[in-house]
Amino acid sequence: MKNILRALRTERGWSQAELADRLDVSRQSVNAIETGKYDPSLPLAFAIARLFGRGIEDIFDDGLDAAAAAE
Amino acid sequence: MATLGFRTANKRYKRLFWPMMALYVALILAAKWLVDEDTTPLWIRAGFAVATTAPLVAAIWAILRQARETDEYTRARQMRALAEAGAIVACGTFLVGFLQIFAVIGTIEVFWFGPAYFIAFGLSYYRNCMGPTV
Repeated sequence: MKNILRALRTERGWSQAELADRLDVSRQSVNAIETGKYDPSLPLAFAIARLFGRGIEDIFDDGLDAAAAAE
Repeated sequence: MATLGFRTANKRYKRLFWPMMALYVALILAAKWLVDEDTTPLWIRAGFAVATTAPLVAAIWAILRQARETDEYTRARQMRALAEAGAIVACGTFLVGFLQIFAVIGTIEVFWFGPAYFIAFGLSYYRNCMGPTV
């Protein structure tokens, strides 16, 4: 799943380790999410969204059009 | 399942794992110094065998507890590594077993499958770090 986590993190001048500390996950977790190797669970996605003050959909993009998916 | 987060789980893991490893090494050294295959009574030798196994059991429990308590990505990597290590050692066990049954090789101590499992676990864990999606 595509996401803008790296952009949001660098915008704030945080390292991966710093972000990992704030989310209480490993640095490897942050790296795996940023590179799209790992899709976070809903609770972790919410925690990320809360930390950056955004909605989940603003950060993560599954590539599907919501209108098309509703049909 | 009680998830404590990466930091707390890691602290709890280190607090149990490393003392158990130190105890294990101390017991191995003590056994080497105190136990003689020919003269030491059987019950003492059996006691050392059980005592040396105990810290290993505690260390394995520490690994499983950490997997239960840590963050989701680390847990996924650990579970995958534990499963892959199990599969590799099971294959190795069959191979060695058949080599023995067909008298290709002599007897190999069962003990070595334990360290083989942990080596396979370590390699798999760090390979998953660079590998594809968990």
